[in-house]
Amino acid sequence: MIVLIGLNHKTASIAVREKIFAGCQEGNDLLARLRSINGVREVLYLSTCNRVEIIAGSDEHGKAIKELRDFLAQSGGLTAAEAADCFYEYYDEDAVRHIFRVASSLDSMVMGETQILGQVKEAYRQALEQYATGVVLNRLMHCSFRAAKRVRTETAIAVNPVSVSYAAVELAKKIFGSLDGKKILLIGAGEMAELTGTQLIEKGAQSIIVANRSLAQAELLAEKFHGEAVSLDALEAKLIEADIVISSTGAPDHIVTADMLRRIHHQRKNRLLFLIDIAVPRDIEPSASSQENVYLYNIDDLQDIADENMNARKKEAIKAEMIVDEEVARFVNWQKELESVPTIVSLRNKAEEIVKAEMDKAEGWMGNLKKEDQEKIDNLVNSIVNKVLHAPVSVLKEESSDISSRDIVAAVRRLFRLDG
Amino acid sequence: MILTDLELLSFKIALTLCAASTVGYLFSLLVKQVKLAKFSTWILAAAFGFLTVKFLFVIINSSWFINPDSRDFFSLCAWSVCAVYLVLQFKTKTRVLGAFISPFILLFMIAAAGEEAGRALRPQNLQNWLTAVHLLWTIIGEAFFAIASCAGIMFIIQNRLLKNKKLGGMIRLLPSLNDLDRINHLCLLWGFPLVSVGIIAGVVFAQISWKTGWLIDPKIIWTFAGWIIYGFLLHQRLAIGWKGYRMAVFSGAAFIILLLSYGSVRLCFSTLHNFI
Repeated sequence: MIVLIGLNHKTASIAVREKIFAGCQEGNDLLARLRSINGVREVLYLSTCNRVEIIAGSDEHGKAIKELRDFLAQSGGLTAAEAADCFYEYYDEDAVRHIFRVASSLDSMVMGETQILGQVKEAYRQALEQYATGVVLNRLMHCSFRAAKRVRTETAIAVNPVSVSYAAVELAKKIFGSLDGKKILLIGAGEMAELTGTQLIEKGAQSIIVANRSLAQAELLAEKFHGEAVSLDALEAKLIEADIVISSTGAPDHIVTADMLRRIHHQRKNRLLFLIDIAVPRDIEPSASSQENVYLYNIDDLQDIADENMNARKKEAIKAEMIVDEEVARFVNWQKELESVPTIVSLRNKAEEIVKAEMDKAEGWMGNLKKEDQEKIDNLVNSIVNKVLHAPVSVLKEESSDISSRDIVAAVRRLFRLDG
Repeated sequence: MILTDLELLSFKIALTLCAASTVGYLFSLLVKQVKLAKFSTWILAAAFGFLTVKFLFVIINSSWFINPDSRDFFSLCAWSVCAVYLVLQFKTKTRVLGAFISPFILLFMIAAAGEEAGRALRPQNLQNWLTAVHLLWTIIGEAFFAIASCAGIMFIIQNRLLKNKKLGGMIRLLPSLNDLDRINHLCLLWGFPLVSVGIIAGVVFAQISWKTGWLIDPKIIWTFAGWIIYGFLLHQRLAIGWKGYRMAVFSGAAFIILLLSYGSVRLCFSTLHNFI
């Protein structure tokens, strides 16, 4: 059984998400801790700017979901009132549909954005590294990647693939009119920063400065834009030159403070400054927005623009939802096949097919034998096959009442290539 | 006689078009449609054309430069603001600015319609080319200031919407902050020398004709104060680097001070400029 618990930009404020994010990041053994929870057999932890979700394969879903909810609430230090409304829970088919929709970016703040799939893949990679996932979640994640790929290639939902930067460009145009000649400062050299930079350069921005804790990474990204790379020590000096600042680091504290902006106000000659903080926890001190000619937008503020995009993409989303439904049905079918009876049937069918194929091939020389001898050979072959299959079929039958049979079923299906 | 009739007809058409464009502009704000604002701009351009035709008739009909009547004065105010706005349209394409400026233009036109045609604006002793330059350049310069202030007010609104993250329809309609700041900058840059030349022409005339006493005229003091304020703003922009919100607030406030002073002087004081 699959269970999913989480919170996102629709159910929890940025402050609550920050708390949960920070709580879960403490220590390096998050997945191990999650796996040690009673009733949780396999687990995957997904954290993005907009959501924190735990997907688990479980023997006892009621118990598992309660424990996972308590775990999240305690990690974030949430009050009972805060914890009451911010979580959503899904089971089995609904959980499958939810994760497929997340991976396909149908549940994202900006529908159709492309970053989320990378983040889901990264979450899966970490779970794999720590052996946190098993048969069911492995299959679930692969199916979710396939669903996401189909949605992207078969619909026009990702025509504007860079969601946050698209919203940022729209806002930048409202502030600057044209982006021609504008200087962009990217703080953080991650994928998000890169995508945003690409979009802004396409819209006419003049140059890009990349500031990052690791200068080597900054240089790599800056090279792509023919820009300048600096370390975070030079941030204040570079803020003087910048017109648009996009910050997306994983730093726990504010990187750009209100004091810093106040200090450079005169050196900037009062030029308009557009600050986009797409990091959670936030990189830019919120009080910076009270300063003259400074416009600060965090990830939540982009919600309104996201809503408009969502309307425009509604039509495509209908198609995408149909694709997701198809993929969910496929996954659910596979899950049903994980019950032992269908696998035993498949195994026998497969064996019979092999026997039939081989007997057909041997028909030439067997035709010369007496009918009596032919029957003897038939019986011999069937007897060997039955004896070979006896042990695996017995084990499948014996273990069928136990949840761990799924691993065995999956192994049999894989060993005998029953899924084609 | 025919010329006078044609002049009146042109004025009436211009007034009607002006009213139509103002309604169109305000409606465009209401329904949040830039297309409607664009259409209104064309109507305003037509109004400007008819107003220009009216002035051509006036020039042909009489020695207008020397002796315009009160209606011409207000019409000239409307024409100047209209001209400055339309020129700016070529440079910045900020149609919605019209929603803020066209009501001013309409007010000038209504004031002009309310004035009795043929009443001499200036007394006989003030009718010469120096006062004509003084009047014309000052009016056009003030039109620039008016538009600088309108842009400033729009900047304040847009700034507020962006700061409060109200990203609904209105924000899409208003020009970008940078464009509004640029309009404010251009208008101050062009308006200030025009008003300066207008004032100098007035000073030269006053010195020649009246010699003493004119400096303590309340309207002159207020106008001079306004000129100093705008000069200060221009200085702050060019030398100190004031930009954006602060410029918007100060230029808006400066224009309100100028309007209040004009109103209060006209109502409460006796002035050498009692003809306007």
